[in-house]
Amino acid sequence: MTQLKIENLSSGYRGKTIIKKLSLDALPLETLVMMGPSGSGKTTLLLTILGIITPSEGKISLNSENIAHLSIENRNIGYLPQDYGLFPHMNVQDNIAFGLKVRGIPRNEREKRALQMIQLVNLKGFEQRTINELSGGERQRVGLARALAIDPSLLLLDEPLSNIDQVTKYEVAQQLKQVFQKLKVPIILVTHNHEDAIFLADKLVILNNGEVEQVGPLKEVLEYPKSEFIGRLLRPFS
Amino acid sequence: MTFCMRSYNFIYIIYALAILALSWLIFTFLFQYIAAIGSFKGVVAAWQDSRILSALWLSILSSFVTVFIGVIFGIAVAYIFAMKEFRGKDLVEVLSVDVPQTFPPVAEGMIYLLMLGPESPFHANLAFTFTALVIAKIYVCVPFIISFTSRKFREIKQTGMNMTARSLGANPFQVFTLIFLPLAFKDIVAGSALCWSRAMGELGGSLIFAGVIAYKTEIIPTFVATQATTLTVGALAATILVTTASTLSLITFKRLTRHEK
Repeated sequence: MTQLKIENLSSGYRGKTIIKKLSLDALPLETLVMMGPSGSGKTTLLLTILGIITPSEGKISLNSENIAHLSIENRNIGYLPQDYGLFPHMNVQDNIAFGLKVRGIPRNEREKRALQMIQLVNLKGFEQRTINELSGGERQRVGLARALAIDPSLLLLDEPLSNIDQVTKYEVAQQLKQVFQKLKVPIILVTHNHEDAIFLADKLVILNNGEVEQVGPLKEVLEYPKSEFIGRLLRPFS
Repeated sequence: MTFCMRSYNFIYIIYALAILALSWLIFTFLFQYIAAIGSFKGVVAAWQDSRILSALWLSILSSFVTVFIGVIFGIAVAYIFAMKEFRGKDLVEVLSVDVPQTFPPVAEGMIYLLMLGPESPFHANLAFTFTALVIAKIYVCVPFIISFTSRKFREIKQTGMNMTARSLGANPFQVFTLIFLPLAFKDIVAGSALCWSRAMGELGGSLIFAGVIAYKTEIIPTFVATQATTLTVGALAATILVTTASTLSLITFKRLTRHEK
């Protein structure tokens, strides 16, 4: 089972350092939720792990192998962007099978795998639908199924519930949690919403100014916030 | 009440100006057909004239070759413009996309005559050949393909779909062929339709660099230019051919871009 280890990682863009000597571990079967105010470096850290942003220093290890120098396509990381990044010229099944197609997996095998993923995210009967025919929650599940179809070593999700309307949000979040429970890889999820974080997290990481302010099991961080800032972040209306 | 009346008067003026402008533009286009009614038999006979048919064939062929070359090189340039940041990029874009679209074609013809004509410093005399026709058209027409395609490529890049595809294991070539090209297909076709249309009507560069040699480099616009001063029926017949072909191409372009929305 995969373990993610980040050591002394610094990264940023346009000459600006946003993540500063950050260290973090993520274990398998664990949903690690990263929270922090705007500009705290949540998305930058996610994109650095993914390989879109090149770190200026530090190590990112998956199963003890440093992946910081690998190109994006060779990292085998499942990624669900904020807008789900679905390909509008492909139907649901082709979207999900995309990662398998580019790996040269034969058609019958990738169809079989895509159907397994469709079942996992409860989208049976949606195989031939176009992306425009799907609701926000359905799109999110297609994006998730696509990210999982490649059998990733790590799953990264950027604000997965931010485009879901309030009425269906709870249902979608519950389905997301059910899928997470079936996975055997570390999951890192970024959100700025304290409710989403509390609902989905096993472990909470609070980022501020590119540094880890507090990290620990959800209950511990909720009960013993290290600073007033963290307390306000987690209970903004109390 | 007075304000309301004034508002309505203003709208009526806007409508009147628009109708006047549209009538003038459309009437100008239709007048060639109205003029042809008066000399219908002459026009039909001219359409069977081997010189006009040759000019038409050379116009169509050179325009298609221009589009073919334009698509290959235009897509490559558009991809670089959309994906890469480099020093002087704005200047390169202006010189390769904006300037050619507004450049006086006659001046372009002169430049090519000096560059690739009988006195060429590169010892490559291509003047007054079919190749010269294509070269003259490429400079002013291909930027349409580049601008349409690069705009769409930029849109795709902004969505981050290319990076999502790479996270799924696609290498840059697979991202280009499976994401960029299919998503930009309509824009490439639309840019090509505009390019072809512009190539069909290109005159200045072809006139100077390729000359007007019947059955060799004479195309419809150069035929019309040399015949129009005497207002021959042949010039009218040729005009109808080239404008109708260009209009059909532009209608295709409009339909494609409307569908896109």
